[in-house]
Amino acid sequence: MARFFAGKGVQYALVLLFAVTLNFLLPRLMPGSPLVFLAGEDVGFMTAAQRAQLTEAFGLDRPLWRQYGIYLAGLARGDLGHSVQQGRPVAEIILGRVGWTLMLVGISLVLATLMGVAWGTAAAWRRGRPLDVGSLGAAMLLHSTPSFWLGMIFIAVFAAGMRLFPVFGAMTPGAGLHGWAQAANVAWHLALPLATLTLITIPDMFLIMRYSMLGVLGEQYIATARSKGVGERGVMFRHAMRNALLPVSTVFMLNLGYIVSGATVIETVFSYPGIGRLLFEAVLARDYPVLQGSFFVITVSVIAANIAADLLYPLLDPRVRYAR
Amino acid sequence: MEVAKTVKRVRVGWLGMVVLLAMVLSPTHTRAQTGAVRLAITRDEGWLNPYTYQTGFPGWNLMTLVYDTLFYPDANNEPIPWLVRDTRVSADGRTWTLTLRPNLRWHDGRPLTSADVKFTFEYAAKVTHSRWTPTTRNLDGVDAPSPQTVVFRLKQPDAGFRLRTLADVPVLPKHIWEPVTTVAAARAFRNTVGSGPYRVEEVQDNQFYRLTANSEYFAGTPKVRELVLPIIRDATVTFTALQAGQVDATSRTLTPELVAQFEKAPGIKVARGAGFASTILQFNVEHPQLRDVRLRRAIASAINTNLLVRLLMLGYAVVGSPGYLHPDSPFYAPGVKFEASKARAVSLLNEAGYRDRNGDGIREGPDGTPLQFTLLTLAGNPIRIRGAELIRTWLRDVGIGVTIRVAEDAAIIDQVWPDFDVCKGRRFDMAVFGWSAPVMSRPTALVDLFHSSCQLGTINIGGYKNAEIDRLGQQLIVTVDPASQKRIAAQMQQIIAQELPVHVLFYPDTIMAYRAGAYDRWAFQKGQGYVTKLSFVDAPK
Amino acid sequence: MSRFRWPVGGVGVIGVALLAALVLAGVFAPWIAPYRPDETTGSPFSPPSRAHLLGTNDVGQDLLSELIFGVRISLTIGFLAAAVSISIGTLVGVVAGYFGGWVDAVLMRLVDVILVVPFLPLMILLAAYLGPSFWNIILVIGILVWARPARVIRAQVLSLKSLDFVDAARALGVSSGRILRRHVLPGVLSLSLAQFILAAGTAILIEASLSFLGLGDPTAKSWGSTLYYAQVRSAFLSGAWKWWVLPPGLLITAAVLGFAFTGFALEEILNPRLRR
Repeated sequence: MARFFAGKGVQYALVLLFAVTLNFLLPRLMPGSPLVFLAGEDVGFMTAAQRAQLTEAFGLDRPLWRQYGIYLAGLARGDLGHSVQQGRPVAEIILGRVGWTLMLVGISLVLATLMGVAWGTAAAWRRGRPLDVGSLGAAMLLHSTPSFWLGMIFIAVFAAGMRLFPVFGAMTPGAGLHGWAQAANVAWHLALPLATLTLITIPDMFLIMRYSMLGVLGEQYIATARSKGVGERGVMFRHAMRNALLPVSTVFMLNLGYIVSGATVIETVFSYPGIGRLLFEAVLARDYPVLQGSFFVITVSVIAANIAADLLYPLLDPRVRYAR
Repeated sequence: MEVAKTVKRVRVGWLGMVVLLAMVLSPTHTRAQTGAVRLAITRDEGWLNPYTYQTGFPGWNLMTLVYDTLFYPDANNEPIPWLVRDTRVSADGRTWTLTLRPNLRWHDGRPLTSADVKFTFEYAAKVTHSRWTPTTRNLDGVDAPSPQTVVFRLKQPDAGFRLRTLADVPVLPKHIWEPVTTVAAARAFRNTVGSGPYRVEEVQDNQFYRLTANSEYFAGTPKVRELVLPIIRDATVTFTALQAGQVDATSRTLTPELVAQFEKAPGIKVARGAGFASTILQFNVEHPQLRDVRLRRAIASAINTNLLVRLLMLGYAVVGSPGYLHPDSPFYAPGVKFEASKARAVSLLNEAGYRDRNGDGIREGPDGTPLQFTLLTLAGNPIRIRGAELIRTWLRDVGIGVTIRVAEDAAIIDQVWPDFDVCKGRRFDMAVFGWSAPVMSRPTALVDLFHSSCQLGTINIGGYKNAEIDRLGQQLIVTVDPASQKRIAAQMQQIIAQELPVHVLFYPDTIMAYRAGAYDRWAFQKGQGYVTKLSFVDAPK
Repeated sequence: MSRFRWPVGGVGVIGVALLAALVLAGVFAPWIAPYRPDETTGSPFSPPSRAHLLGTNDVGQDLLSELIFGVRISLTIGFLAAAVSISIGTLVGVVAGYFGGWVDAVLMRLVDVILVVPFLPLMILLAAYLGPSFWNIILVIGILVWARPARVIRAQVLSLKSLDFVDAARALGVSSGRILRRHVLPGVLSLSLAQFILAAGTAILIEASLSFLGLGDPTAKSWGSTLYYAQVRSAFLSGAWKWWVLPPGLLITAAVLGFAFTGFALEEILNPRLRR
């Protein structure tokens, strides 16, 4: 057991180091200097000396090694630097926005999993029948649909057109709501992005669950259970689903990293102020510290999800546990 | 069968919940509060104080709602006295004696005196600010002989002192900003105590600002009790929100394709006026081929600017003037015109010796080098990209090859204006570029744009050199008499129109849409829009 | 519970039909499209009419022609990007699976890293760094999409490696290169093909997303760039989205679906472990 975790631990540490270095190097290699956004549009009226003073004040002229060393030391302390554009600590900016992404991603993942599992089970049970074939077609169709396009259509129809939902943001700005009213307002703004992200994620869950169920249904112990006279319902829930759920739970954890990616596009389309959108804005603004910080947080969360999956798997699958 | 039913029931249940949720939540949209106006802005503007706001427009304008300047630009971009009651300028133009109004106060109740003004200008010289520190270069010193009197001593007389410095630099409270001594600290400083008509009440990171009126403001009670500034980055989302009634106004100018629709929309008013921002074709005048005036004139002749205005801007723009200045600018020299004509482009090219010697459709110069150029254009600006595509087609028709390169802002700046320092040279052929409105409002814009010295020609990104322009420019800077300024400016424009270091394509109109029902007393600043202090407070008498 | 073998063939047929229709449209575009897509043939922002069945875009170019010619760009990008990624993926999968040991360990670590780093933010980053150009987009997609196929190929190679005749060949001292070429590669090729088809579909989706975000090449008239212009020129506010946004999205969906069905069917047929 200890050896297993030591091996995995080293692997994840390597992944983290690689990803962190990648995150650090890539922004540095981009053309252009951040002075564009450092001082706003008026920087063209400065003298060279004044521009140099600004550059020095923000450490943009130090050699690469120095910057990297500072970066790593800072990470160890939990310091992610200061935004070049806003002058505020990056950690603070990210903290203010990561909550929105977690809410959007978390809820949609749960909804998509529940719906996907139910749907996949039904389809697998009725393999080859119209429900299965139709579901497969529908799932593939949804899977092939560009997420941003779907979002755009939803905005056009439900927000701009029917005025049922807001067009942008996570809350109505300056409304000063509290308690339940505020929660309702937040939920109202969350509805469309959530619907889009969920619809995009269901097909994956459906396909995995269906595939997994099919595999399980052919297994020996199912036949055994049947021969023992266990009812169809019992077979499905107690035996088939429980085992079929194993890869689903793994995929659930792994998709957490994937879905944060997908949420980037959705957040952009809906102007939802999450960390995916922060990343996009930071790239446009060449705001290196925010870029690095966002990448770091996303990568760490993905690794954490992987670790959680590794820890959970033995608990779910009794065979794995005994083997240790 | 039972399985299917269960699954179906579960699904219906979820669907029902979603519908229920939607019904419950939809009435919870905001009702505009009485006395509150929602003005959508395009991006985060820091803490709305002088060292953290981000953009020239609307950032500076919003900042001036919280902080006051000594003078302020009126609807015609003329500086009118604001904090100042009386002005006396010495005969040699080097000493300015200003008398402040009495009983000026900061938001925290402390009095605003000449000590604060003196402190502000000394601070701007020490703690670098991209916009104001350059204006302090010409200051010999600032004195505060009495609490209401400020004396500015200039090194050289400056025609633009009132507009560029006194109407630009906000006064900082000495008792708050004195301990903030470094640039880094200043740019992270969150204090928003100013003297202006509005107080910053609430700042939500990247979401909105909430400003409340300062009822003790010296020029009178502000006309709107509360200003909410939601940050909406996308143009489309901004206008969707405006149309749907989720915001009342926006700092963003209305895009051409929406004008007709918004003019017809109930509850929405559209105000149109001349715009001073310019979209230009910038040449690298140091390029071995583009340094030939005839080639530049030929290229300009091949570009149908009238059609550009019609197709790209749907008519909501003014065709570019070859002397650079907008026809509505007070310094515009009438009689400076340019007619685009494909025939003339062809004959100019032929005369100058550019012929297609090898039959590939591209002309070559006398030395055999083909006329093949890369045209840079900004990635985020679809109108400019379309413009670049049209230009490419027209130039191809007269035998000039163009490759379009779409790049991010930082990459373009890197090639065209490295580190925003004209002294650092340039590496490009041509670029579709643009300057914002304030460039046009300054009488000395022609110097900034075309003087060959990189200390004076701070935005001469084409590297243009002309001795006569240099001489005239130097004269213009120290000329204070408006009639003489106009004369010199006219001469400069004649030369520019002949040499065409830049070819101005058009000036997009300023078109501002707003919901009249929410607030209808906006003041329209020429060439800029309605985000100005004068929309909320009348000029002090 | 019947063991009815469901119509894999049916799905495959639909997929191939979709793809064939699109490829034909692309090949015969100059004959099918009513106008040239880069010509201003109408007034900007016109709704559908007899002259322009899908209306015109923001500079008066016919949208229908733009979409038809867009087949070429979008499919080309899809194929090229998939080619890059499958080449890398097959190579890595084969080398890792066949040689095993530390080579395998290192390569699979690399695969894990690529899979862990969230792909879209990384792609946004790379696209912004490299700049919006046709070849950069292909490169960016290609060098990130190879990881999953590499895993699949490697698994196939592992199962091939354990086959008797491969063991025998090695025992006889046949060179690795020879074994790879004559025994392993052919066994992997058909799976590579299936992965290629799937990757092409993914590539088209990603290109559309990147173009929409403004990180693609707006002067290359792909479906994604059509959507980009629709978005930035306020197609939603004027109701123009019905003819400017719906059709390109449907085409993208159709193309990706075609690739997905075809690839899926191929995989079901080729991969013995999936067959029932």
